Amino acid sequence: MRRFLAQIANLFRFRAAEREMTREIEAHLMLLEENFRVRGLPPHEARLAALRAYGGVEQAKELHREARSLVWLEHFAKDLHYGVRNLARAPGFTATAVFTLALGIGANTAMFSIVNAVLLRSLPYADSGRLVRVVFSEPGVGLRDVPFSVPELEDLRTRAGIFEYASAMGRTSSNLTGGTQPERLEMIVSTPDYFSLLGVTPQIGRLFGRQDFALGFAPVTVISDAVWRRSYGGDPHVIGKTVWLDNDPYTIIGVLPPGFRHPDMGGSRQPVEIWFTAGFAGDPAPKPSRRTRFIPTAIARLRPGITLQQAQARMAATAVEIRRDFPGDYPAEAKWTIELQSLQEAMVGNVRPMILVLFGAVVLIVFIISLNIANLLLARASGRQHELTVRFALGATRGRIVRQMLTESLLLSMIGGGAGVLIAMASLKLIPGVLPAAIPRLNEVSVDWVVLTFAFLTSVLIGVLFGLAPAIQSAKVSLASRIREGSRGSGTGTKTGRLRDALIVSELAIAVVLMIGAGLLLHTFENLIHQNLGFNATQVVAAGVTLPMPNDPKLDPYLDMTRQTVFRRELLRRVLAIPGVQLAAIASDLPTTPQVNTNALVVEDRPAESSRSLRAELTRISPDYFKVMQVPLVRGRFFTDGDSHGKQLVAIVDESTARRYWPDRDPIGRRLRWGQDVKLPWLTIVGIVRDMKNDGLDMDGVPHVYTSNYQSNNGSGDAASRSFSVVLRTSLPATELESQIRHEIQSIDPGLPVSNVASMNEVIDRSLASRRFSAVLVGGFALVALLLASTGVYGLLAYMVGQKSSEIAIRIALGARDTEVLKMILTKGIILAGAGTIAGLALAAASASLMANLLYGVRPHDPLVFLSVPLLLFAVAVLASYVPARRATQVDPVTALRDV
Amino acid sequence: MPSEDSGHIPILQGTLDLIVLRTLATMGPQHAYAIATRLEQVSEDLLHLNQGTLYPALVRLEQQGRIKGTWGKTDSNREAKFYAITKVGEKALAQETLRWRRMTGLVEKLLSAGA
Repeated sequence: MRRFLAQIANLFRFRAAEREMTREIEAHLMLLEENFRVRGLPPHEARLAALRAYGGVEQAKELHREARSLVWLEHFAKDLHYGVRNLARAPGFTATAVFTLALGIGANTAMFSIVNAVLLRSLPYADSGRLVRVVFSEPGVGLRDVPFSVPELEDLRTRAGIFEYASAMGRTSSNLTGGTQPERLEMIVSTPDYFSLLGVTPQIGRLFGRQDFALGFAPVTVISDAVWRRSYGGDPHVIGKTVWLDNDPYTIIGVLPPGFRHPDMGGSRQPVEIWFTAGFAGDPAPKPSRRTRFIPTAIARLRPGITLQQAQARMAATAVEIRRDFPGDYPAEAKWTIELQSLQEAMVGNVRPMILVLFGAVVLIVFIISLNIANLLLARASGRQHELTVRFALGATRGRIVRQMLTESLLLSMIGGGAGVLIAMASLKLIPGVLPAAIPRLNEVSVDWVVLTFAFLTSVLIGVLFGLAPAIQSAKVSLASRIREGSRGSGTGTKTGRLRDALIVSELAIAVVLMIGAGLLLHTFENLIHQNLGFNATQVVAAGVTLPMPNDPKLDPYLDMTRQTVFRRELLRRVLAIPGVQLAAIASDLPTTPQVNTNALVVEDRPAESSRSLRAELTRISPDYFKVMQVPLVRGRFFTDGDSHGKQLVAIVDESTARRYWPDRDPIGRRLRWGQDVKLPWLTIVGIVRDMKNDGLDMDGVPHVYTSNYQSNNGSGDAASRSFSVVLRTSLPATELESQIRHEIQSIDPGLPVSNVASMNEVIDRSLASRRFSAVLVGGFALVALLLASTGVYGLLAYMVGQKSSEIAIRIALGARDTEVLKMILTKGIILAGAGTIAGLALAAASASLMANLLYGVRPHDPLVFLSVPLLLFAVAVLASYVPARRATQVDPVTALRDV
Repeated sequence: MPSEDSGHIPILQGTLDLIVLRTLATMGPQHAYAIATRLEQVSEDLLHLNQGTLYPALVRLEQQGRIKGTWGKTDSNREAKFYAITKVGEKALAQETLRWRRMTGLVEKLLSAGA
């Protein structure tokens, strides 16, 4: 070890050690020489004899050096020194290479930190590998993720025997009052074991425990660190304080640690800030029964030692048992079952394709950049031919030369990598503004050691990748041919030429892949924005309102339909009075936003078995809704103010629902009801409207039923109707209307917060955010790839013209016409472009299906994209070769031939 | 190139260090030339080495802290680097000598047993 340290130390004292060595050897030689002189040799012979006796000074020096130091390290240091000098000598090349590398590695590193945080890193919960999401499904009728009932939750705990905890939960928002403005907080209502299940410990106070069990809501709450700091200034005595949510008092019992996030599934919205616990079995929840399925989500923690596969098998078996024990509650054709999914998969599974496609695009870009630099290095290497030839002649080994050239390229890639990491860190700061919020776990994105290691390895790999080709090329060619070619002054041999051709073809091929990917995404995006919405979104402004729902009915100002109707009519009357508002309506859900309220539906006059499995989404609207949205009526009538409480219950269906559920008759005048229960009232269909995109631009064919929000239909729609949007047809922008809308609503009830005031176009825009993001990003990459590849083609051909100027000159001198010269160079460009395009097409065809999940209305092998992209690339490549070809025709034979 | 004359013994790997240490231990501080000369004398020219090959051993030993070199003047008033054995070197010498004896003893035994 000591010796090793001394060797290392010697590296840094190289010059001093060299001097010392020379001095010592010289002293030794002097002594020897003296000895020989004493023995009687003449002075000059004594010197020679001394040298002979010493046995090769340079050899001794080398032995000395080797003993003194770690040779490889020293070589490396020398190579590094040499490399730095070499790069400094070509500042233009170095700057270009470092800059493109920094951008490439930067983008790559930033993207990888997202991959790492979102997809790779385990969830930030204790022993998170055991956390699962429980999904109830009815595959027989094509439904996944249906709500479940309290007895079914109990089944998870008692029958399955594989869970340590199983917790039911629902996410909603509620009105926090008492501050300057009523605030809308995202909240979770869960069974008490939620926190134990996730393995969280509080920052202060305690979390829910068994003692908090209540049939309905327990009067306690846990708040996030953010709320604690924002609303209570981080007061340590916050425990025991009362908060008022939806007019109900709750005692704060604990504050969560800063890093804790609720595991949001299926795209996160605002972060959850307040937690409540309930048994889901008492007010305001309905009485428990197997068929009262209203709890949206269940998560569970597996017992230690049970694998997901075992648990899944056990769960499926349990579901079969349950169906057997309660045949009346589980219609056979629904094939009701319970599935398990790792919680991580549940949270990030749906964004994985998008993230991986983006990451793939970045990797391809880095690849192209490497190829481009390899090309530049090859060109430079030919300029250094002479230097290398001399080094070979002086006895440098091939390995030594390869190593030296690799050191140089690694130096380049490391500098680029270092700058890239800085770029990545800077760009990650911009994430909240740039990335669509629909990606979960973005708050966890950071540059940690995994990311740094990745960036380092990427840089090494890139350095080797673009350094190896020129390095091997320089080392491979034999000395003889080197000198021969060198003397011709051309610099590159045919082998180098072929290698450069291969690099260009690869670049073009990758550019094709990226462009086809971008083409597919852009085509999808274009399809989506040109979707027939079914309504007219321009000049519509929407605002969100949610009525409080206290647990104590006596505190509820909106308890029954009569009171709600009064409020709604007053609200509409007031917003209509705002100058510039032409029409106003209320809807329980805005179009183009994903909905979750599918409801069981029974159609009258249909055989009981087949009607049992029908479902439809329910939107509760005020009479003018379709007029505000400008949705055409097909037959029948819209709702009127007369369709109120106590009158005949009415419903409107859209065309595709009509076709689906009443295939052979006119639905108008027919009846439906929300659920199997014979006591539920029938609703009569009074109208059919055109289909509209209710759930998102990329969702079609979900059956839809509209009901009047002045009527109660005793189904599961009531709770949902407390949260609704006001939609206005107006020529004024949302920003101008916001304060007036808020003023009008709060003059009815000052405790009502108004949220998300936005134009309908903004709402649609937001629903497309992540698609736009990926399309624009991949499109940008494709453009960069196209530019890099075409400059590659240009560079290669321009170089070729330079190399062949004498040949061209001879041809011209011998009477070749411009077109022939042009053809000669262009042919080369066309062959390259053709080869690249074909290779790229093959690659793209093989990989396009990976993108299938991200496409809408476009097949992965969309002929339009697969034809137009190669044509575009081909055209650009030919254009890029035209410029040098044109220059070739202008070669002046006299000048060119004089230099030969 | 060292000659491959029949009378000359090529130096055994690893033994040079031991020999140098031993020389310095008996003769006190010496410069490289003196060490080389001494080796040739003692071996009665059986051990022939290019004097330059002594250097790696000297460098190695110095890095191991077994010897220490200082510049000084020879009797003929020329400057030379004098190497002296250190405490560490003496300890190492004792150990290496013991090991060498055991080794040669063993080889000797094997050779005579085989005869």
